[in-house]
Amino acid sequence: MVLLRFILLRLLGGIAMLLAVSALIFFMTEVLPGDVATRILGRNPDPERLAILRATLGIDRPLPLRYLEWISGILQGDFGNSLISGQPVTETLGRRVLNSVLLGALALAIYVPLAVLPAIAQAVNRDGPLDQAISALSLAILSIPDFLLATLVLIGFVVLLPVAPARSIVEASSTWGQALHAMILPAATIALVMATYAMRYLRDSLIEVLQTDYIRMARLNGIPQRVLIWRHAMPNALVPFLNVTALNLTYLFGGVVVIEQVFSFPGFGALMVGALLQLDVPMIQATVLIAAAVYILSNLAVDLATLALNPRLRHVG
Amino acid sequence: MSADARLARSPLPVSLVLGGLLSGSILLVALIGPWVAPYGPSQLGTGAPLSGISLAHPFGVDQLGRDVFSRVLHGAWLVLVLSLSGTVLGFLAGGILGLVSGQRGGWFDWLVMRGCEVLISIPILVTALLVVALVDTQTIAPLPLIIGVIGFVYAPRIARMARSAAIEVATRDYVTAARLRGDSGLRIALVEILPNVSGILLVELALRAAYAPVLVASLGFLGFGLSPPTPEWGMIIAENRGLIFITPITVLGPGLMLAVLVVGINLLTEGIARVIGRSVVRTT
Repeated sequence: MVLLRFILLRLLGGIAMLLAVSALIFFMTEVLPGDVATRILGRNPDPERLAILRATLGIDRPLPLRYLEWISGILQGDFGNSLISGQPVTETLGRRVLNSVLLGALALAIYVPLAVLPAIAQAVNRDGPLDQAISALSLAILSIPDFLLATLVLIGFVVLLPVAPARSIVEASSTWGQALHAMILPAATIALVMATYAMRYLRDSLIEVLQTDYIRMARLNGIPQRVLIWRHAMPNALVPFLNVTALNLTYLFGGVVVIEQVFSFPGFGALMVGALLQLDVPMIQATVLIAAAVYILSNLAVDLATLALNPRLRHVG
Repeated sequence: MSADARLARSPLPVSLVLGGLLSGSILLVALIGPWVAPYGPSQLGTGAPLSGISLAHPFGVDQLGRDVFSRVLHGAWLVLVLSLSGTVLGFLAGGILGLVSGQRGGWFDWLVMRGCEVLISIPILVTALLVVALVDTQTIAPLPLIIGVIGFVYAPRIARMARSAAIEVATRDYVTAARLRGDSGLRIALVEILPNVSGILLVELALRAAYAPVLVASLGFLGFGLSPPTPEWGMIIAENRGLIFITPITVLGPGLMLAVLVVGINLLTEGIARVIGRSVVRTT
């Protein structure tokens, strides 16, 4: 029962956060750019035309009312129409989100071994030359801005060693093989960025676990190193790794903007940047809300996963 | 042996020395760059456009015939001023808010923290892009706007960190004594709590300072920064990105400088953390 109440409270908290964030996004996007009608009509507009335009755009009504309309629209899957194309936001959004989810899935598949294997190598050879070399390398990669890292990858694998296309275009007609070929470079870059963060945490928590009594005991009992690491140490070192992975999921739907831009990948991030550059307010609201929702939901998922991984926490009331 | 004596005897960590050297060299470039640059930041016709790397043009020449090395030298102070003042702004605002919130507790603390959580749930880069795109540059000039944006994205994150550090200290006897003495909340936060959480805050400050140049350059790279032809490094990289197949050095040069700066500050962070016996915790 305690467990159920905790999960329920956590879910309610998540919903409340989503509502609060949606309000913040709505009011920011509606208030900060100033009056849309004034921007369209230019300086010193005719007050009569201004009033007509404001009524047409529906912005003559009070903000809280418009917020409620916006929210109830979203609940019915309607984010409004793009100011630029006039098309429903949901149509464009759906395609772009799908592209980004595919890219993210591929990146995650590369990310897990890319983070876990070096971390184990480091923890086993603690403070040895291999540990220090990987630490130095990961700090260096961590310090290179994403867009620069992506550009370096582009120079390396498209210019010097032409194995991938320069523009990662995925079309509806592309086969799975073609799509994979187009996505491999951006996915590998994203995986590299995410892995450097996770690796450092996993190394530290593995080292901590390897010093515990039960691991020493298992080692004295003659359990082989491989089994010791994977079966005994890993499950207990996973919690911080999960936390970083949740942050990384957020990165997939917000931080990845620049990498998509460099590889001309038609993903979610590129859509957001385009909307921001053109001040396409309904599109901005939708994309930023999704980025925030991914953050809130992945944090929620991690809390629940932590609970599932650590039976002791289930009894903490 | 006292802690001070132990500190004096142990050699400085390599990361601290190396980090200091790297970031110090960029600081030097920022200070003297504009005077030693062979050409002006927007001077046209300095050499054959896109002629690549040469002794006269270490970072090549862009398509307008501007010397990229000179542009990088002229822009260094911009990158440093924008990122450092933004970091300090966010640090002051967030730090004070977090410390006061942590030691006051109650509804005030609850409200401040929920507010911070809402702000934090929008990723840093997204928030920054959102504010820069939405705020009319007629109202606020781009330079203070970018500094303000960095402060704005950092403040709630630093506040949350400072608060949890403050809460650990807030139950100590000397804080209770100050409260019974009738000291004000702000005074307790600054006089009693701040000195005891300064180590954690210092590491956080360094960590944020390391990310700020990345943020500034990312904004410039995506076209949300200052207006051209300002030689901010992210913008220089964006200008030359389309031509990396012809002259990669025009991108690699400014990129290398940016990487040196960020690696330098990151190494400094690790070094500081090691000296004061803390671990570096990276958050969003």
